[in-house]
Amino acid sequence: MKALIFSDEPKNAREILTYLRGKMEMDVISTEDKELPEYGAQKVYFYKDGFVDNLSKFLADHISKNKYDFVFISSTNIGRELAGILSYKLKMKCMPEIFSFEHGGKTITKRFFHGGKTVVEEESDFHMFTVSAGICEAEKTDKKSDVSNINLDKSNYKIINVKSKNTAGTDIRNAKVIVSIGRGLGSEENIKKIQPLVDELHAEVAGSRPVCLDYKWLSEDKQVGLSGKKVRPDFYIALGISGQIQHIAGIRGSKTIIAINKDKSAPIFEECDYGIVGDLFTIVPELVEKLK
Amino acid sequence: MDIAVLVKQTVDMDQIKLNDNNEPIMDNLPLKMDILSKNAVEAAVQLKEKYSGKVTGIIFGTERSTSTMKEAYAMGVDDGTVIKGYKKSDPAVTGAVLADVLKKSKFDIIILGDQSSDSYSGLLAGILSSELGLNVITNAIGIEIKDKIANVTVESENEDITVETELPAIVSVAQEINEPRLPKVMQIMAAGKKNINIIDGNPDYKDDTRIISDKAPESQRKKIIYEDGKGIDEVAKILKVVK
Repeated sequence: MKALIFSDEPKNAREILTYLRGKMEMDVISTEDKELPEYGAQKVYFYKDGFVDNLSKFLADHISKNKYDFVFISSTNIGRELAGILSYKLKMKCMPEIFSFEHGGKTITKRFFHGGKTVVEEESDFHMFTVSAGICEAEKTDKKSDVSNINLDKSNYKIINVKSKNTAGTDIRNAKVIVSIGRGLGSEENIKKIQPLVDELHAEVAGSRPVCLDYKWLSEDKQVGLSGKKVRPDFYIALGISGQIQHIAGIRGSKTIIAINKDKSAPIFEECDYGIVGDLFTIVPELVEKLK
Repeated sequence: MDIAVLVKQTVDMDQIKLNDNNEPIMDNLPLKMDILSKNAVEAAVQLKEKYSGKVTGIIFGTERSTSTMKEAYAMGVDDGTVIKGYKKSDPAVTGAVLADVLKKSKFDIIILGDQSSDSYSGLLAGILSSELGLNVITNAIGIEIKDKIANVTVESENEDITVETELPAIVSVAQEINEPRLPKVMQIMAAGKKNINIIDGNPDYKDDTRIISDKAPESQRKKIIYEDGKGIDEVAKILKVVK
């Protein structure tokens, strides 16, 4: 069995390669990344200036020519566009957003449904999948891949402006400790009140959807959840986060979850290892004292 | 300008309860317009207000989808079609049904929500672009139109990228594109009286997947909860390993 993996984000490609390793042979197509050839693919192809049109054309040809048994596309903006187009062009139905894949005679996949409320386990004979980010922790192997570069056709889309966002730089997906804030923090001002805990634990700060998108206390790249980043730190410390199911879907990979919330009935207490019911503004300083 | 907006009706997922087996109870759930469909309708109506034209709403749903179409009318959609026959989340089937209807009229721009809030598939824009042979841009947070050209701003991780594309095109929108309006009572009342075109979709569902289980994931967490000022020592001890 042989699979093609596509991701415009090398980090996701590394995860999928790690996840499928040993189950089948793999080639991977992604953007330039020094480490990607160390994750067990036979062939690594790098492309530049990829848009949905030139990439879908290349991928359709490449998949037909190489007769891959399976195609795994990482669920990013362009990944989902491509999966839609390729599933139509190649007449391969696509199972979206999977986070588990087993193949015996039939294929068994799992994905979240009802907005993350349930997990659907399905049997199908589909050959194309979009893969939810963070399917596992990427690990290198000894085997090195053959690397080649792809020349894509010129795209019909034109980039006319690029505006860099004010992102704080660190990728929360790589963090070992995350202090994550929710609406319960009350205001952007109050971030400085939890900063000592962040410093003490050398943590990264992240937040729920409202905090990052609606109130903009943090930049968008710090959003954790089904529609944001999926994180897998050793410790995830949720401060004033109620724990909506969409948020929980982004933190399931965490080793230990600690929640502090004044609302005893907050759903986060159903999904944490350790929870403290109470006012975070009195608990956090005490906790910092104890940690010193 | 002729604008089409694709609207999805979903069950109110916040209201889903679980049975003793941890399976969702799907009976008698209230229906509502999907979150991102609201942003799509708002984006379409804003384009009409800015560049003039007409907004056509299209729902692939059931007889019960007329309430969502009325909501779209109240927000400013001019004309609406409900395609009956929706049974399940299957982007290939939904794409084929919608493409059949979209092919019958000429639209300058087709707007939809980027990912629906039940499955987060996000495949429909790509499928429709193939079905209809149109350009596609997804996850838009801004749309500007000049003549037959659209400048669409797309958000990615570290930058906002503005891409130019010829119309007609398909554009899916992100939640950040706008704040959907709350229609006034008068608009809601007027919307109730407007005609909705209802047609049969005749979707071609294949029996190609079998659901083995559909359950709330069981939490493997320890769930040790402290109250009344307790727990700080214990949590501090656990966190000491970090240091």
